[in-house]
Amino acid sequence: MAFLAMRGVDKRFGGVIALRDASLHAERGEVHGLLGANGSGKSTLNKILTGVVAPDRVDITIDGRPAAISGPHDAHGHGVAAVYQELSLIPDLSVTANLVLASEDARLGFLRRRADRERAAEVLGRFAAAFPGGNLPLDVPIGNLSPGEQQVVEIAKAVARRPNILVLDEATASLYSAQVEVVFEVVRELKAAGTLVIFTSHRLGEIFELCDRATVLRNGELAGEVTLADTSESELVELMVGSLARPAGRGHQVATQERAARLEVSGLATDRLRDIDLSVRAGEVVGLGGLAGQGQSELLNALFGSTRVRQGTMEVDGRPELPRHPKRAVTAGLALVPGDRTREGLLPVRPILENLTVPSLRRRSRFGVLSHEREREAARSAAEQLQIKYGSLDDGVMTLSGGNQQKVVVGKWLLTEPSVVLLDDPTKGIDVRAKQELYELITALTTDGVAVLLNSSDDDELLGLSHRILVFFEGRIVAELTGDGLTAERLVAAALQVASA
Amino acid sequence: MSPEQTPSTLQLVRDARSWLLRGRLPVATAVALLMVTLVANLLIAENFLTAFNIRSIFANVIPLAAVAVGQTVIVLGRGIDLSIGTIATLSSVVTVSLVEPLGLLPAMLVGLGSGAACGLVNGLLVAVVRLQPIVATFATSFVWSGLALYVLPPGTAAAPRMPDVVVQGYRNSILGVPNAAWLLLLIALSWLVLKRTALLRHVYAVGGDEQASYATGVRVVRVQIMTYVVGGTYAAFASFAMLANSGSADALAGGNLTLVSIAALVIGGTRLSGGAGGAGGTIIGVMVLQLLTSLLVALRPPTDIRQLIDGLLVIFALALAGLWSSRRGGR
Repeated sequence: MAFLAMRGVDKRFGGVIALRDASLHAERGEVHGLLGANGSGKSTLNKILTGVVAPDRVDITIDGRPAAISGPHDAHGHGVAAVYQELSLIPDLSVTANLVLASEDARLGFLRRRADRERAAEVLGRFAAAFPGGNLPLDVPIGNLSPGEQQVVEIAKAVARRPNILVLDEATASLYSAQVEVVFEVVRELKAAGTLVIFTSHRLGEIFELCDRATVLRNGELAGEVTLADTSESELVELMVGSLARPAGRGHQVATQERAARLEVSGLATDRLRDIDLSVRAGEVVGLGGLAGQGQSELLNALFGSTRVRQGTMEVDGRPELPRHPKRAVTAGLALVPGDRTREGLLPVRPILENLTVPSLRRRSRFGVLSHEREREAARSAAEQLQIKYGSLDDGVMTLSGGNQQKVVVGKWLLTEPSVVLLDDPTKGIDVRAKQELYELITALTTDGVAVLLNSSDDDELLGLSHRILVFFEGRIVAELTGDGLTAERLVAAALQVASA
Repeated sequence: MSPEQTPSTLQLVRDARSWLLRGRLPVATAVALLMVTLVANLLIAENFLTAFNIRSIFANVIPLAAVAVGQTVIVLGRGIDLSIGTIATLSSVVTVSLVEPLGLLPAMLVGLGSGAACGLVNGLLVAVVRLQPIVATFATSFVWSGLALYVLPPGTAAAPRMPDVVVQGYRNSILGVPNAAWLLLLIALSWLVLKRTALLRHVYAVGGDEQASYATGVRVVRVQIMTYVVGGTYAAFASFAMLANSGSADALAGGNLTLVSIAALVIGGTRLSGGAGGAGGTIIGVMVLQLLTSLLVALRPPTDIRQLIDGLLVIFALALAGLWSSRRGGR
């Protein structure tokens, strides 16, 4: 029996199935890859093992004994330590204090600083080559280190717990190649010492370099288990995508080619984006693809003025425009539908009416005084157009279902009559029916000549709606898929930077 | 509500608010302020350098210093205690009422226990019931002062007094240094001891990033509760100094210690949103405020404008801290 066995894992988020009877088997002294395209459920499976996500059903055995994991604390107890791309470091505390946090050496409640420092030096010493000159910054506040160095400390912190199972979930994403090598060296040492390492990375090269075997997930189910030495990149991509018949992309690219560009961006760069060039024509839907978190969302926020742009130019309907503030972006004819609607898209305690009309109030007010009748009329027609199912416009917006809430978020921007609509993962966590209605809405927008930029973590949705897809990898556009190239295989291959599939 | 409140302007408003709370003054500012107020006192206040004046400055500063150090521990863990002054009041009336029946030391122990118990209640309300610290402790401040009034109604004919030894000892000197100054040193030492504990390390961690601390295995709830218990205990120490200073208790005194304690820690470089700073700076901040008071007394203002000054100082110090941090692009 395998050292770690996760069997029959089910997890639903609302109406969305993240995992269905998924499983994972891995041995001691193994680096085990966990792979899958967007929405395959690999993050969820990782987080169930580390106690961050509570599954609907799971059967975990570690070393032959059943393990009940219902929180990060339990996971620690079973020898599981995890590193994610998001850090769990305290910026103001020193590197030493962070490394030993919650496992300090203390006598009668008093810290034994020398013992802590020695322990920190020992574990960080294994990563010494990742720091300039090999000098360990033990007494430096961790916030003063570079992002890559912080990530190395985060990994060292997990190693310091002497785990039996070490989960590295995109833990190398912010590292330079030299730092990656240092981490890999330590991972190989851990493996030789009998630790099981579960490894997830968007860089396929790293998977092949480091992993022995890999579990591939597809749509929340087990797609296969492979030995990497006997597997080619294209075989892996095929496993991730599957051979199911997929709806092909849209064919009406020709129709839009003659229309004028409504949005033109060139040479745009932010802290996380480089050399972004793109143009979107009237009536065109341009998809932003790639693995989640490669800069798609950052681009939409930069265009909308809520993320600082370092350089580059942007034109909306031929007018140069680089919003420094969302309000300017709205005036320029942009609208952003955010993914996290309850936090950014809605005024949760206010009625549906106000939520719909807030961005466009200025259009309907005269000398700063609102006309309630006009406000109500506009909201009613928007609600009708969007087929929002509501009792009364005066009901609280949170009384609506998730899908209808999202329609309110979209609807409030329609009332501003935008020329460019930016959609940031608009269907995340809403049910199939509401999704379908949103798709119809997007189609209706394009018929009216609106230009749409769509970021979606759902590859099928992206392929089904987009005329073209720009594929992101680490903050750059690395491929553009058009016409016959709009296939799931091409999309996944481009997202993983595999030459061709 | 702004007419074009977009998703991201909401974010901006949030940023602006946390910008004020995240700001931090460097401790050097507090030292500079201390110098300025000291020189101003030397120039303006006539009897500043007399032994009596110096003794009374230290005698008056101890309650504030103790409360402010306690408040610092709470704020470092991303809390705040608006009831801390009234905890000192309650503890003082409890102690003084028990001196007669129980004797001095047992009375002080009970007083200490009452301070810690008040802190425990605050901590449970904030960390377990999960009320907003500002609201929860504002409410309990009325409970504590209500209890104080119940224990020792104002205008009681034969109000209990502290033994004369205590009152005189508080005003005496050892080796030419006022005893109250020794006590200030003791408070500073207590902080240095506290700072070496695992608890305080975890307080800094929770104040710095609660989520990350939890994920790492810090017992966040317990740590938060303990900050309020420590704060309440310091408030009880403050109450002993108040009693020694005046000889008797006043169920209405102590309330205004709260705001001044917050002013002192902000001047002293502790970040109001937690995780950075320390009581060393707070003690300097306390001295700055005490010297400002003494300056005001020397200027003989027409009415007591102390509260007005304190309020303005808190706002001034917060704004300064926020500006300082944002100019440096700091966290």
